[in-house]
Amino acid sequence: MALTGRAALLALLGTLVVLFAPRPGLAVAGVALLIVALVTVDLLLAGSVRPLRFTRSGDRLVRLGESATVELIVENPGSRRARGVLRDSWPPSAGATPRHLPLDVPPGERRRLVTTLSPTRRGDREAVTVTVRTLGPMGIAARQGSHSVPWSVRVLPPFLSRKHLPAKLSRLRELEGQHPSMVRGQGTEFDSLREYVVGDDVRSIDWRATARRNDVVVRTWRPERDRRVLIVLDTGRTSAGRVGTAPIPLAGETPRRSGPYGGAAIVPGWPRLDWSMDAALLLAALASRAGDRVDFLAYDRTVRAWLPGAHRTELLSSLVNSMAPIEAELIEADPAGMVAAVMTRARRRCLVVVLTDLNSASLEEGLLPVLPQLSSRHLVLLAAVSDPQVAAMAAGRGTSELVYNAAAAEHQNADRRRITTRLRRQGVEVVDASPERIAPALADAYLALKAAGRL
Amino acid sequence: MSLAAPPQSGSTSVSPTARRLWRGGRGILLIALLVVAGAVVTVLFGGAQQGGKPLDPDGTSLSGARGLAQLLRARDVRVVRVTSVAEARTAVPEATGGPAAATLLLGDTSFLTEDEARQLTTLPADRLLVGEATHLDVLAPGVTVNGPARSRSREPECALPAAIRAGSAYMGGVALTGPSGAIGCYPADGGSTLVSARDGERTVTVVGDGEFMTNLRLAEDGNAALAMNLAGAHPMLIWLVAPESVPQAAGEASLYELIPDGVKWAVVQVGVAVFLLALWRGRRLGPVVAERLPVVVRAAETVEGRARLYRARRARDRAAAALRGGFADRVTPRLGLPSAAGPDATVNAIAERTGQAAARVGTALYGPPPADEAGLVALAAFLDMLERQVGES
Repeated sequence: MALTGRAALLALLGTLVVLFAPRPGLAVAGVALLIVALVTVDLLLAGSVRPLRFTRSGDRLVRLGESATVELIVENPGSRRARGVLRDSWPPSAGATPRHLPLDVPPGERRRLVTTLSPTRRGDREAVTVTVRTLGPMGIAARQGSHSVPWSVRVLPPFLSRKHLPAKLSRLRELEGQHPSMVRGQGTEFDSLREYVVGDDVRSIDWRATARRNDVVVRTWRPERDRRVLIVLDTGRTSAGRVGTAPIPLAGETPRRSGPYGGAAIVPGWPRLDWSMDAALLLAALASRAGDRVDFLAYDRTVRAWLPGAHRTELLSSLVNSMAPIEAELIEADPAGMVAAVMTRARRRCLVVVLTDLNSASLEEGLLPVLPQLSSRHLVLLAAVSDPQVAAMAAGRGTSELVYNAAAAEHQNADRRRITTRLRRQGVEVVDASPERIAPALADAYLALKAAGRL
Repeated sequence: MSLAAPPQSGSTSVSPTARRLWRGGRGILLIALLVVAGAVVTVLFGGAQQGGKPLDPDGTSLSGARGLAQLLRARDVRVVRVTSVAEARTAVPEATGGPAAATLLLGDTSFLTEDEARQLTTLPADRLLVGEATHLDVLAPGVTVNGPARSRSREPECALPAAIRAGSAYMGGVALTGPSGAIGCYPADGGSTLVSARDGERTVTVVGDGEFMTNLRLAEDGNAALAMNLAGAHPMLIWLVAPESVPQAAGEASLYELIPDGVKWAVVQVGVAVFLLALWRGRRLGPVVAERLPVVVRAAETVEGRARLYRARRARDRAAAALRGGFADRVTPRLGLPSAAGPDATVNAIAERTGQAAARVGTALYGPPPADEAGLVALAAFLDMLERQVGES
C-alpha cells in the first residue's frame, strides 16, 4: 500500500479542527480515526494490482545514439478500474522515459503504454520490474505491487565511421577497374580480356590476344579476391582507457573543468574498445565488399566472441550483434593465448588485424616474443588508437608545469615510436591514429595492402 | 497446510502475498510479542517503582527510605507522610505547650518559604533535620554550617544516648557547630556531623547527611539503630517530603501554561500530518535499479601521473632528455640524416639549415640538463623554434 499527499493534507486540515475544537485531545483521536477509516475504504475500493496481466512488444535492437520504443500492454481482468501510475523500471543507462506513466484501465480492458529508451552505452539492457500503484476512488491511499515482465534490448555499436564507407568503396572500385573514369584497374590479379575502348590505358593492351583477333584487346585486372581477414579485438585492460570525445554523451557524465591543459574541459571520452570496434566495422564492411572473407575474434585471456566467416549480406548485423555485449575486462591480456587462438582458427594464410594499444610494457612482454609464430604464417596488421590528450600535452609550453607535461607526453610518444619500429622490423604493419582517424586510417592500410597484392 | 501454495499460473507478480508476508514475519512477530508481554508482566508484578525522590518513606529505590518507615511502623510508631506545611499542621495532635508528642522529620526543605519554616517551628514536635537543610537559622537556631565533610563510617564520640546506643554510623555531609549546650556527635574536621540542641521546649537534631537512613545504607553499621533512635523517639513521626511539583502562586503561570490546550494538540496533529507526509514521499514506486557500469578511466592518466612525478622530483634531466629525444626523432628524418647519425653530424646539419650557432644548438641538444625550471622552459621553447625553422627552411 501507499499513501498520497491527500492523506497528509487531510491531517493538516485536521489541525484547524483540533485548534478550535472544545476538546482537542478527542479531536486528534477523531481525526486520526477518520483518516484511518478513509484510507481503509480507499484501499478496499482501489483496483487490484496482482491480477493485472502484461505483454511486451517493440524493439529488440537499437543502435547506440538512437531511440527504441518498447510497448507494454496492460490488461485488467479484475472487476475494478485500475487507475494510477505505472513505472517501467530499466537500468539507468537504458535512458528510459518517461519515468512514470499514467495508467487507467477499466475492468476487462487493456491499454498500451510506450516507453522510449535512449541508451547511453553499448550492451544488453534488461527490463527490471513493472511497478503499478492503483489509487482508490478518493485518491487518499493506493495499492502497489510489482510484476516481472522480462524484455531485453540489445544496444549495438553505432558504426559512426560508416560515413567514410562511400569514399573507401569508391577507392576500392578504382582498384577493381570498375570506376566510371575507365582508368585501368590497379589490381594485381588477371581478370579478363575485353575490347579496347577509347580512354583505356594503352599499356594494358594485350598484343598477343590482339594479334589473334581483328580487334584491339586489353587485359583487365582486378584486385585479389576471396582472401581472409581476421579481425582480433583486444578486450584487456588497455582497451578500457578512455580517449577522445565521446560522440554519444555518457549517462551522468558531465565535462569536468580541471587538469593541466590551461583549464581546458576534459570530457571523459570513449573507451579504446569502442573506437576499435568502429574501425573494425568499417574494415569488415569494406573487406566484405571487396570479396574477402571476414572473421572476428575478441580476446583478452579467453575468447569473448568468435564470429567465423559470416555471409557478406549479414556480416555487419551479426558483427554488431556479437560486439554489443563485449566490455573491456580489467585484466592483463594474454597475447600468447591470443596467438594460439588465432593459429587454431586460421589455418590458411590471412590478414590478421589486431586492434590493441601500443603499450610498450604489455607488448614487449606479451606480444613481441610470440609474434614471429603469427607473422610466419599470416600477415599481421596492428592498429592502435592514440590519445589526442597526450598530443595536446606534448605541445604544452610556457610554464614549467606544462613543459613537464610535454616531457611526459614525449616520453610516451617515444615509447610508442620505439615499439612501432620494432614491430615494423618484424614485418608487422602498424596503424597508429587518433580516435576520429583510426577507422579511415585502418581502411586505407587495408586498401594499400590490397593494391600491393600482399593479402 | 504443509505445502507452500503453488505459484499462480500466468501471474507475473513479484510482490509478496499476504500469506507469504505472514509466513515470513510471524516468527519475528512472535518474538516481539513475547518481549512486550515479558515487559508488561515485569512492570505489573514488580511493584510500584515510586519515588526517585530521596528520603521518601514510600520510596523503594536505593535512595528511598521505605525500609526505615517499615521498621518504625513495626515498632508502633505512626509514620505520617506529608507534603506541605498545612498537612503537617493537621497531622500533629494539638497539645500546645506540653512536651512534644511527635517528631517532625525534615529532609529537603528547599521548597519551603521562610514563613512556612517559621510555622513549622511553632508545631508541638521535636524537629529532626536531615541533610543540607535550608532555613537552618529558623528551624535550628544557633546551629551553623562550618564546611563540607566526607561521608563515611564514623564513631559517635559524644554523650547523646541515641548515638551511643547505635554506635558507629555512616555520617558526613556537612560539619556543624551547635549553640552552647548542644551535643555534637560523629565529629568530622571542624565540627560534628550530628548536633542535638534545645530550642525552647523542643529538641532540634540536625544531621549533616541523610544517607544512613536510605534503603542502601540502612543495613550497615548502626545506621538503622541511629535512625530508629532519632526518628522513633515519639509515637508519631511527621515525615515532610517535597511535593511532586511546587505549586505556583497565582498570577505567576509560565508561558507554557498560558498556551491553550487546543494549540498543544494542534502541534500533535501537525506531527501526524508530517508523519503522513513522510509516508507519502518515502514510498518508492518500484525498486532501486542497480547497474554494473564500466570503469571510467582516462587513458592519459598514466602520462599525467608521470608528469606529476617529474614535477614533484624536479626531474629536469629526464624531462630534458625526453624533449630532446622527441625533437631528434622528428627532425632527423627531415634533415635527411640516418637515424644513427652521430651528435656532431646532427648539430652541424641543424645549424646549417637554421642559421643558428652550432655551439648553441649543440648545448641545446646534447648539453647538460637545465639548471632551473626557467632553463627547462627556455630549452623547450628553443627546441620548438629550431623545429619550426627546420620545417620552414
